[in-house]
Amino acid sequence: MAQGLDMHGVSHYYNEGSSRTTALDRVSISVEPGEFIAVIGPSGSGKSTFLSVAGALLQASEGEVKLNGTSISSVSAKELSRIRLHDIGFIMQSSNLVPYLNVEEQLHIIKKMAGKVTKQDKAYAAQLLDELGLGEKHKAYPDELSGGEKQRVAIARALMNDPQVILADEPTASLDTKRAHEVVSLIAKEVRSRRKAAVMVTHDERMLTYCDRVYRMADGQLTLDQMQPAQELVSR
Amino acid sequence: MYLAWREIKRNRMKFSLIAVIFILIAWLVFILSGLGNGLQTLAAASFKNMKADYVVLEQGSNASVSKSLLSADGIDIVSKMPNVRGASPVGTTMGTVLKGDASDPAAGKVDVAMIGIEAGSFLEPAVIEGSGLSSDRADGAIVNKSMKDEGFKLGDTLRLDGSNETLTIVGFVENETYNHVASVFLPIDKWRTITFAAPGSDKGIRNPVNALILQGSKIDPDAVNAALQGTDTVTLAAAIMGMPGYKEESGSITMMLAFLLVISAFMLGVFFYVFTLQKSNQFGVLKAIGARNGFLGKAVVSQVMVLSIFSILVGVALTYAVASFLSKAMPFILDTKLVIIYSIILLVIALLSSLASVRSITRIDPLKALGRVE
Ligand SMILES: Nc1ncnc2c1ncn2[C@@H]1O[C@H](COP(=O)(O)OP(=O)(O)OP(=O)(O)O)[C@@H](O)[C@H]1O
Ligand SMILES: [Mg+2]
Repeated sequence: MAQGLDMHGVSHYYNEGSSRTTALDRVSISVEPGEFIAVIGPSGSGKSTFLSVAGALLQASEGEVKLNGTSISSVSAKELSRIRLHDIGFIMQSSNLVPYLNVEEQLHIIKKMAGKVTKQDKAYAAQLLDELGLGEKHKAYPDELSGGEKQRVAIARALMNDPQVILADEPTASLDTKRAHEVVSLIAKEVRSRRKAAVMVTHDERMLTYCDRVYRMADGQLTLDQMQPAQELVSR
Repeated sequence: MYLAWREIKRNRMKFSLIAVIFILIAWLVFILSGLGNGLQTLAAASFKNMKADYVVLEQGSNASVSKSLLSADGIDIVSKMPNVRGASPVGTTMGTVLKGDASDPAAGKVDVAMIGIEAGSFLEPAVIEGSGLSSDRADGAIVNKSMKDEGFKLGDTLRLDGSNETLTIVGFVENETYNHVASVFLPIDKWRTITFAAPGSDKGIRNPVNALILQGSKIDPDAVNAALQGTDTVTLAAAIMGMPGYKEESGSITMMLAFLLVISAFMLGVFFYVFTLQKSNQFGVLKAIGARNGFLGKAVVSQVMVLSIFSILVGVALTYAVASFLSKAMPFILDTKLVIIYSIILLVIALLSSLASVRSITRIDPLKALGRVE
């Protein structure tokens, strides 16, 4: 397949002195555009490592990672940051917004990193924010936003460069149930309408209803969860 | 610049505090350099002002004009040598002038430096008031305008303490000081009469002077030494350095400035470094979403740039403000060229000290951004 995320036989080892941790053990997965995948599993099982390898933050020790059909297994650090900027949208545990930029600027900075912010970019940013229900908050600073609003800004930021792959690491960890549902349903909506390949790591079983497939991570091994989520509940 | 400026705007208090410290450092640097410049001018302005290149001194005088005594007859020989455009004798003697007139013994005294030169030679400074020296007027003298503050006017008689000789002020010059006191330029013959009043004090030298001053940039000092027996030829700069106490005085001020600059480099470096450390989580996030080291490095450096230029400009303004309040007696002279040089040095120091921060950015791991609650 040419689009989305494709991982084949990927392992990752952390070397600390003489001891070696196998954080990922021959993981294979493919996520196509428009698919929203969940990864669950106990603490320390390797979920964040998985996202880091998928998101070009870490080079896999073994195996092949393909983004949009191009292998990223042996590219330079500079090229990796270019890939992160253009091909991947991250949504992190806490929104991790830049404290001194207002909501609009949080999105403009993405374009600024790539070069310039054009008029079209600004219009696109405004459109994204409106879509995510932040119409009133364009000029607000992070300390004036609620947790859910911050996370929605983070979603908009992840979509700003129109990447093919969206990765979310426990995006609801700092939210209450109501806001968690809001945020995840928004991610699901954007992923499907914009045809992104999306992976979400979560601890929250209630969020699985929004996902197409659920994988379980245990001791670095990724397996498709037998219990299929009730997809019928999700309005697609 | 995008990040740098917005951060400053959102954190005015934090950045104002750093700016205040930077401004104080800049201020101190400029004040010290002004004082140093003032002291050096006071010590040697009359020699620094000379449009000359070399000084012929007596051998063994250790490049010190005041220790040297030689005959002015050498002028005829050196002026014919290659590359010598001009040659003129000079003599310096410290003296004391009595204030007021003879009927008022309590009027006080003023220290002066008497500099004997040939009337009309290239060593004679231009007058700002009155007329220059003339060979018709053997007792005419042109004096630094600071003598006006001591109550002297054009046409006044200068009575020398411990001597029967008197001089008449025919003109005023500016910025002419020597050995920290006002310079009094007088015809060299008159200077000889005053200086060698005691029998034998001229050591039997014909037409004695302290030094011969030469003009000409490509003069060969060894050739001059060979042509004039018992002489030692040095550059004008070396002769100024050879003045008693000059090297020590400028040395201690240079040391103070150097220490100040080194300490401020360290202080600013630590400030910028701590700032960057505080932001390492945020930089990690930006790296995770694709920011390159160059982008973040530029943000830090441009922020240091904005802060430095602002602080240096305020420091300069404060310095000029202080200069206008200082009393005339204070040896404080701001030289625009020096102010510009120290501004550039401060800017370079600030930028260099931010390099540690830039280096720490390259070591921030974008991985830290994942799986972390703030
Ligand atoms: N930088 C590292 N150096 C060494 N070992 C690491 C490093 N990061 C993670 N590990 C180890 O790799 C394993 C997988 O860690 P990872 O962070 O991927 O787990 P996780 O599933 O995300 O856990 P959690 O749910 O607690 O976030 C763990 O045993 C962890 O100790
Ligand atoms: Mg994790």
